[in-house]
Amino acid sequence: MSQPRDWTVFDRPELRPALGAEGRDGCEVLLALDGIHCANCVARAERVLGGKAADVHVNLTARTVGFRFRPQQVRLSELLRELDRAGLEPRVLAHEEPAARAARERRLAFARIGVASICAMQVMMLAWPSYFGVRPDHAIEQLLRWAQLAVAAPGVLWAGWPLFAAGWRAVRSGALDMNVPVALALAAAFGASALRTLAGSGDLYFDTATMFVWFLGVGRYLEGRTRARAGERLRLLAGRRALTAQRRSGGALETIPIGSLQPGDTVVVAPGDALPADGELLEVAAELDESLLTGESHPVTRQPGQAVLAGSVNGGDAPLALRVTHRGADTTLAQITRLLDLAQTRKPKVQQLADRAAGHFVAAILVFAAAGLLLALLRGAGADAGLSIALAVLVASCPCALSLAVPAALAAATSRLARGGVLVTNAGALPALAAVDTVLFDKTGTLTVPRLQVGRTLCLAGLAPQECLRIAAALEHGSRHPIAAAFTVPLTAPSAGDGGGLQAHDLRHLPGAGISGRIGDTAYWIGAAAQAGVPLPPEAAGLADDGSTVIVLTDTVRALACFALQAQLRPEARELVGELQRRGMNIEIYSGDAAEAVAAVARQLGIERYAARQSAQAKLQRLQQLQQQGATVLAVGDGLNDAPLLAAADVSAAMPQGAALTQARADLLLLGDSLGALAPALDVAQAARRRIAENLAWALGYNLVVLPLAMSGHLAPWLAAAGMSMSSLLVVGNALRFGGRRRAGPAARIEPAARPAEVL
Amino acid sequence: MASLYLLIPLGVGVVLGAIGIFIWATSSGQFDELDQQGGRMPDDEP
Repeated sequence: MSQPRDWTVFDRPELRPALGAEGRDGCEVLLALDGIHCANCVARAERVLGGKAADVHVNLTARTVGFRFRPQQVRLSELLRELDRAGLEPRVLAHEEPAARAARERRLAFARIGVASICAMQVMMLAWPSYFGVRPDHAIEQLLRWAQLAVAAPGVLWAGWPLFAAGWRAVRSGALDMNVPVALALAAAFGASALRTLAGSGDLYFDTATMFVWFLGVGRYLEGRTRARAGERLRLLAGRRALTAQRRSGGALETIPIGSLQPGDTVVVAPGDALPADGELLEVAAELDESLLTGESHPVTRQPGQAVLAGSVNGGDAPLALRVTHRGADTTLAQITRLLDLAQTRKPKVQQLADRAAGHFVAAILVFAAAGLLLALLRGAGADAGLSIALAVLVASCPCALSLAVPAALAAATSRLARGGVLVTNAGALPALAAVDTVLFDKTGTLTVPRLQVGRTLCLAGLAPQECLRIAAALEHGSRHPIAAAFTVPLTAPSAGDGGGLQAHDLRHLPGAGISGRIGDTAYWIGAAAQAGVPLPPEAAGLADDGSTVIVLTDTVRALACFALQAQLRPEARELVGELQRRGMNIEIYSGDAAEAVAAVARQLGIERYAARQSAQAKLQRLQQLQQQGATVLAVGDGLNDAPLLAAADVSAAMPQGAALTQARADLLLLGDSLGALAPALDVAQAARRRIAENLAWALGYNLVVLPLAMSGHLAPWLAAAGMSMSSLLVVGNALRFGGRRRAGPAARIEPAARPAEVL
Repeated sequence: MASLYLLIPLGVGVVLGAIGIFIWATSSGQFDELDQQGGRMPDDEP
């Protein structure tokens, strides 16, 4: 065991920003706990931190713990030392480390499972003659036994190493958990078999031991993979950030890694690039796409001196300059990433129950195994027979199937949903999803398409609408603004007559104030109605009545046309709402948008309950009211103002273009940018809930039947291993049963190539 | 039967070799993303 470490270095205040976000109510940190493997370890970690830290989340699979502590009251080094003493092996994570570490560990876990499966199969081949009582001549038999030892050694010692380590840790810390009987059974089976190989006689249990390692590894791997996958996707999303920065020093620009940036540096960001750090805008106004942070798809205009955030993209057409104020782990983006990590550390409630049940099992198993051994010795059956009974008890009653029951069903459901375009970020939400009876929708970006479309065109100067649209498209050409997309997209469609053809020159983008340019000899301007430099007729104001955005096209003296830009209903929204209503669900719309716009959408969809101009607070109140009435609520949203709603709902789904912060609070992400996947997701969740119940019933029943048999010596260890394996296989097979014929959702039909075909 | 004296050790050797190759393949990242590997070969073309 390693030396007691000196943890005090982590108390140094200058290190704190790199460890975690510091807020009003304490410092938030995420630690790796390499020593946790079971529900008991989780409880131990919680006990150690309890009272000294708040908001303790332990993630068994990611083996992390997140908590908040007050640096004035408790030292981080003290918490670390106590975690270390409890055998939990804490490690401080540098902010960037978790992803790379997770990938490395996943590879290692995969390699161990692969080796375990190769070894298990080969040992079984070599043990084959003994299964059928075939007695080859003595020399061959000895050779086969030595061959089994050679093949089983890597399968048990290397592939099963984490099991031994976990068992030893549990013993050392004095808390019994499932790893203890597992490690004991493995050590006894392998050790006894190795000794008997040397002695040249006696039954061998190499096959039992290798199979054991294999099944346990598969269960843990499945459990870990589901969450790792979801985490990766979110990380990818929030990881959209610059790796290098252009620093201005003197008159020249130099490219440096963002890690070398210092507060006070001046950096230049080219158009289309992401800002490397939080800072203060210098020199000129700029248009920024902050959709990663806020979900707001419109670029926002920032004036010199205003704060700008890392991760936003320079959406203008000129480079911008900023002075760095926060970098690295201090940036708002980094804080969001940390929130994602914390969101990942939630553990499904059903799973916690199963883990606790498995924990109680353990003590009983150990007692039974010891009793079996003692009874055999008292009966005078000899140490050999006694060992066989103890082994059979340990192996047969290992709660493998029990521990696989929940993760296998959740993993299968998660994988099935991913194929249907729904990414599950919190597997615990699936059982709740099965019970949903009320759905709350946000409007903008959820029921409607985020991109604007030209609704009505009002021509003011006798030009044809097509002509006005062509001029507008020529002016907006090359702009990244979403309003520009509303004009430029129809031009590429076949219906756009001669395909545009107008060429604008002298284009000038005036951030926040539209675009000016010339076509031929005429000067034009296009922009928001409020910014127009010419008088507008009264009917232009009427265009905004239904919640549309009004854009005006002018030449130097008069307004030529007004365009009403509207958000369009998602094509699949009507079908989904109809389907949910058929299932008897209560559907409501809560939007921050104007009353007219919300009413129009509700009318089109046939939804009776809706509310407009709702703040995040108001949405939350409505949700709590519903929950008090006993409803299980699914909330679907995309904007930042939906984040509290999504976090508080029983289950939440977010659209993929939504704000990263919102997605971090959501249990489900609708990857295909389609609502259509929601209804099939409800079916899958209900199926998963049934599978879990069946699996738990089976696993408990099996163990109850098999334990007396093993105790009375009627079960040879190899038979116990086979039974244990069959039981586990049955549980996994049952979990995978999801009515394979039905397609999971429209997303699967639209872009099958884009969906990774899962192996599960 | 005499051939077994050669074949069994040979078999064990093959298994241990397979284990080695598998560990190498895993640690070089070939199992990280099972869907993407099919595209690796065409991508290698100059």
